[in-house]
Amino acid sequence: MKIRPIVIAVLAFIGMVDALYLSIKRNAGPIPCHVTKGCTDVLTSKYSEVVGIPLSWFGLAFYVTVFSFAIFKVFDDPLHPSGFPLKAIFYLSGAGLIISALLVGIQAFILKAFCEYCLLSAALVLSIFLLSPHPVRTHPE
Amino acid sequence: MRSMSKATKPVIVIVLAVAVAAGAAVFLSRQPDQPSETTAAPLRADIKGGGHFRGPENAQLTLVEFGDYQCPSCGAYHPFVKEILNRYPKQLRLEFHHFPLISIHPNSMAASKAAEAAGEQGHYWEMHDALFEYQTQWADKPDPKPIFFAIANRIGINGTLLLQRMEGQDIQQRIVRDVEEGNKANVQAVPTFFINGQEVHIKLSMEDFVQVIEANLHK
Repeated sequence: MKIRPIVIAVLAFIGMVDALYLSIKRNAGPIPCHVTKGCTDVLTSKYSEVVGIPLSWFGLAFYVTVFSFAIFKVFDDPLHPSGFPLKAIFYLSGAGLIISALLVGIQAFILKAFCEYCLLSAALVLSIFLLSPHPVRTHPE
Repeated sequence: MRSMSKATKPVIVIVLAVAVAAGAAVFLSRQPDQPSETTAAPLRADIKGGGHFRGPENAQLTLVEFGDYQCPSCGAYHPFVKEILNRYPKQLRLEFHHFPLISIHPNSMAASKAAEAAGEQGHYWEMHDALFEYQTQWADKPDPKPIFFAIANRIGINGTLLLQRMEGQDIQQRIVRDVEEGNKANVQAVPTFFINGQEVHIKLSMEDFVQVIEANLHK
């Protein structure tokens, strides 16, 4: 069964929609929150971009990459399974988790405002990380 | 050939998924910004004055802004608002209403009070501009009053009197009236702009400001 890569693919797909939505909305005026408060503050703050590139674009690249690895795992040859896609997802989401934790910290302690779309992304990265097995413990399926 | 066909399926799935995700994101971004229980149409507000005006009384358009002095995006919009008033000196005027989001901006109420107190000394707009200009200097301070005092001195008003008047209940009441006005208009975020009673979404660019003003001037 390939439940794990399928679930990771679904989560990465949600992440793609989230990141694309933010990329579109970012410069389209104030972004009202529905659950948290301060979406516009977070998304227009100086921490919302790196060298002029909005963080949502980096998020999109991350989710497309994770989604691609998960889909390659889904279509993996059952007789010659490759451990590479899940390994790659593990390391990618590990790095993503560190960055997400940093960004949530910035929202909580510096901006004192939360963006629900960013929190959703952090939750997705955490879920993907937890679903991707540690490479040392990974055995061929 | 066989390995190529093996790779084709996942590639097709990935391309399709990215296309569907893009479609979904575009669809969602075009949905009205208000929570689903409120009206889908842009907000309409019958704002009965009470704000501070900048520009000619007989201007064809009134740009109403509900803003918060501590909100970084209001600070980011501020130079564009000033510039658009400069570009349309006869056709446009600004009506600013306080909408301090005190739960996330703990110094916003004090800043609004400072602006009102400066207004009593005849320098509301100077303080308004300076609060945005020096936003980063006072926004995160546990006590922003020394910065407000310094700003008062810089714009040439009595800083001691300003700090005294900031404690006035009447000043607080003026701000609360603005907030009530904003709540009535269902303002959910700052800055929220209205032109002649109709909510307008303006992007953070001069081109978009000009486009919105031009469109409304020729309505």
